[in-house]
Amino acid sequence: MIPFVAVVSLRGRKSRTIRLWIPLILLWLLLVPLAVVLSPLLFLVCLACRVNPFRTFSVGWQILCALHHAEVEVENPSAGVSICVF
Amino acid sequence: MNEHRRQILQMLSEGKISADEAERLISALEAGSSGSSSQNASDSPTKPRPKYLRVQVDSEDDDHDGPTKVNVRVPMQLLRAGVKLAGLIPQQALNRANVAIHEKGIPFDLSQIKPENLEELIDQLSDLSVDVDQSDHAAKVKVKVFCE
Repeated sequence: MIPFVAVVSLRGRKSRTIRLWIPLILLWLLLVPLAVVLSPLLFLVCLACRVNPFRTFSVGWQILCALHHAEVEVENPSAGVSICVF
Repeated sequence: MNEHRRQILQMLSEGKISADEAERLISALEAGSSGSSSQNASDSPTKPRPKYLRVQVDSEDDDHDGPTKVNVRVPMQLLRAGVKLAGLIPQQALNRANVAIHEKGIPFDLSQIKPENLEELIDQLSDLSVDVDQSDHAAKVKVKVFCE
């Protein structure tokens, strides 16, 4: 399952946290037409690079799906950033 | 084991717990003991497969105003997909990468990473735990890598 939401938390020096819920589903919906338009070009690029285009798309999709529950946190007394993908 | 049971019965006799609670506790005790015995009998292969690779870095610099903590959780699925991505690398590029790795003195062949070997690799990762402590006059760094 592809990730639907990304939660980005930003904390400044004054310990004020801004939490952004980014609906990735909207991003995917916007990117689908673009992907359809660009797919012939990507197909040709894969062939030019001697890479199997179907395997490439399959692996790309798997990577997208695998981002589910990925988490990155960087904390410092002066600032903090956290990105969680759901 | 008998001691736990005796404690439950004692609590029952003292009126601290009801008969129903005592029964529940004893059944939970029995379930726990049967679970642990079956786990011992079948040894480690029954342990759950790790789902995430966790990387934690704690760094304390004298230059900054406090410690910096980095916490990264990588899903195992992403590692699987990454290995499959490595399988897409054209042979020429793979050869060049292998040569570069050998020049660095690392006896490793990227072409040996195949999806077929991946599950075995991930199974072995469950026992992986890397702890690195480095401290000098300027900074103190702790790195911890483990699976969960």
